[in-house]
Amino acid sequence: MRWLNTRTITPLLFMAPVLVFAIVFFFLPVGFSLYISFHKWDSLSPPEFYGFTNYVYLLSKDPQFYRTLVNTFVFAGGTIAIGIPLALVVAYSFSQSRFQTVWRSIYWLPMITNIVAVAFIWKFVLNDAYGMLNRGLALVGLPGPGWLTNPSLSMFSVIMVFVWMQLGHNMLLVSAGLQSIDDTYYEAARIDGAHSGNIFWDITLPLLKPTILFLLITNFITGISYFALMMVLTEGGPAGSTNVTSLYMYNMAFSDLRLGRASAAAYILFALIFIVTLIQLRLFRRGGVEAHN
Amino acid sequence: MADAGGIVRSRTLGSRALTVLKYTLLTIGAIVMVAPFLDMFFGALRTVPERLARPPVYFPQTPQWDNFAQVFREMPMLQWGINSLITTLSVTVLQVTSSAMAGYALAKFEFFGRMTAFRFVLGAQMFPFFLFIIPMFFILRYFPLVGGNDIFGKGGMGLLNSYLAIILPFAVSWHGVFLMRQFMMAVPSELLDAARMDGAGEFRIFFTIVLPLVTPGLATLAIFVFVYQWNEVIWTMTVTRTAPNLQTVPVGIYLLRGAYVEEAKMSVQQAAIFLSILPVMIAFLFLQRFYVRGLTAGGVKG
Repeated sequence: MRWLNTRTITPLLFMAPVLVFAIVFFFLPVGFSLYISFHKWDSLSPPEFYGFTNYVYLLSKDPQFYRTLVNTFVFAGGTIAIGIPLALVVAYSFSQSRFQTVWRSIYWLPMITNIVAVAFIWKFVLNDAYGMLNRGLALVGLPGPGWLTNPSLSMFSVIMVFVWMQLGHNMLLVSAGLQSIDDTYYEAARIDGAHSGNIFWDITLPLLKPTILFLLITNFITGISYFALMMVLTEGGPAGSTNVTSLYMYNMAFSDLRLGRASAAAYILFALIFIVTLIQLRLFRRGGVEAHN
Repeated sequence: MADAGGIVRSRTLGSRALTVLKYTLLTIGAIVMVAPFLDMFFGALRTVPERLARPPVYFPQTPQWDNFAQVFREMPMLQWGINSLITTLSVTVLQVTSSAMAGYALAKFEFFGRMTAFRFVLGAQMFPFFLFIIPMFFILRYFPLVGGNDIFGKGGMGLLNSYLAIILPFAVSWHGVFLMRQFMMAVPSELLDAARMDGAGEFRIFFTIVLPLVTPGLATLAIFVFVYQWNEVIWTMTVTRTAPNLQTVPVGIYLLRGAYVEEAKMSVQQAAIFLSILPVMIAFLFLQRFYVRGLTAGGVKG
């Protein structure tokens, strides 16, 4: 029993709570939900084996499912396309400004606000007739659209609210990246007579590439699996225009009690995220980023 | 032909213009960040006639501070607040403890399977939360021997309808373990070996030497978890939909939205929303620097 000394037992004791958690709240759910995805189950009667029926149904017979997938990718893509350039510009201004604590507190306010508050605040702001935004637009003589009631505009509104929520977070990561750029590069460029525009495009941006890549990847993955805002702000509507796959899955499970099909939907979405992540990790490596050391 | 002085002058002029541009941009951004909150704040202070006027009066003439008191009279705000506090503090303590212990083991011990465990901690972070919602709900529902369940998990509600249903799924976070492992790496091993030579027990070393050294790390994780958990809605709502006495502040406000669809009652709802943000805002203002570290640690190493 030589192995049973303090050197081997101690780390196990320290790991014990996490190990138990991993079994009960990681491996068990992951396995259970895979099992359920091959069954028909409404939680009231025992699960009935269904083979690949749930997967086949979602992928070939359910038009709703494709629609939610498109919405999911529009949302994830939209938040990146708008959010990251914005974060770059704001972080660039922020990193050279004074009173950083003040700016940071302001830009982080949305990030530390709970999603119910965010949704309700914006419901008032984006209200058709008397919301702050449309009243403001009316002051300058512009017609205010139905930000949340027009199905072709609602996804855009949700994306903008999400970008608003995440800006502080992204700005911080970019400004951390900016700070890690060695000052000597700038000094050398300045001695050589480069002006600020050149410095930004030729020095800052290339050296920031790892940070930008990191943001793209993490924001994209967050975007694909995200649904809290849609759930509380629009409930997937109007007319399903903001119904993303994870929200569709949630309602399928807890409103319709189609737990097998919902689990299959979760696994399909997870597989997509997994593939996207692998592709992006490859990009990561090519872009010279080491996410974790 | 521009002389040297001209170039310098135009550059300072250019850089001054750039500075103005930067601050203008930051200010516009700041207004966009804050304005929605002010909109809610003004809304919370409006009287009923001000709300019902068409168009509604934007700036309340006589601020109705009583709307905030009305929240406590109309909604079980106190109960929600207590629930929020209980669950948030429990999750914070559990997560910080479990992360510190596991992080310490992963950083400072050689043991069989250490690399596997560490890779698992990294990989598990890739599993999105939505994958766990359905199975976790039923694992808690069929948890054996609790909440009226027999050994096969049948007969009762299991851990549902208890604080544990809200707390347990967040007792460990893989990101937390990873974060603490990074902080623990910085603890000098020589110090631990010296303490062992002096005959200190492993747990004494952990509590009296290691933990004090990583206090900033613990604080970082704690504020992070606190903010996250106070704001957690999806899971808490899923398990407390049928248990109003367990609902937290944001979940309670959300599920009671049906009672506030009338324009006349909306001031109270907006006041409640303001109150739901307040605790995190206060905690955050005091502990902001730890939050910065939490977001940047474990991020990019370019």
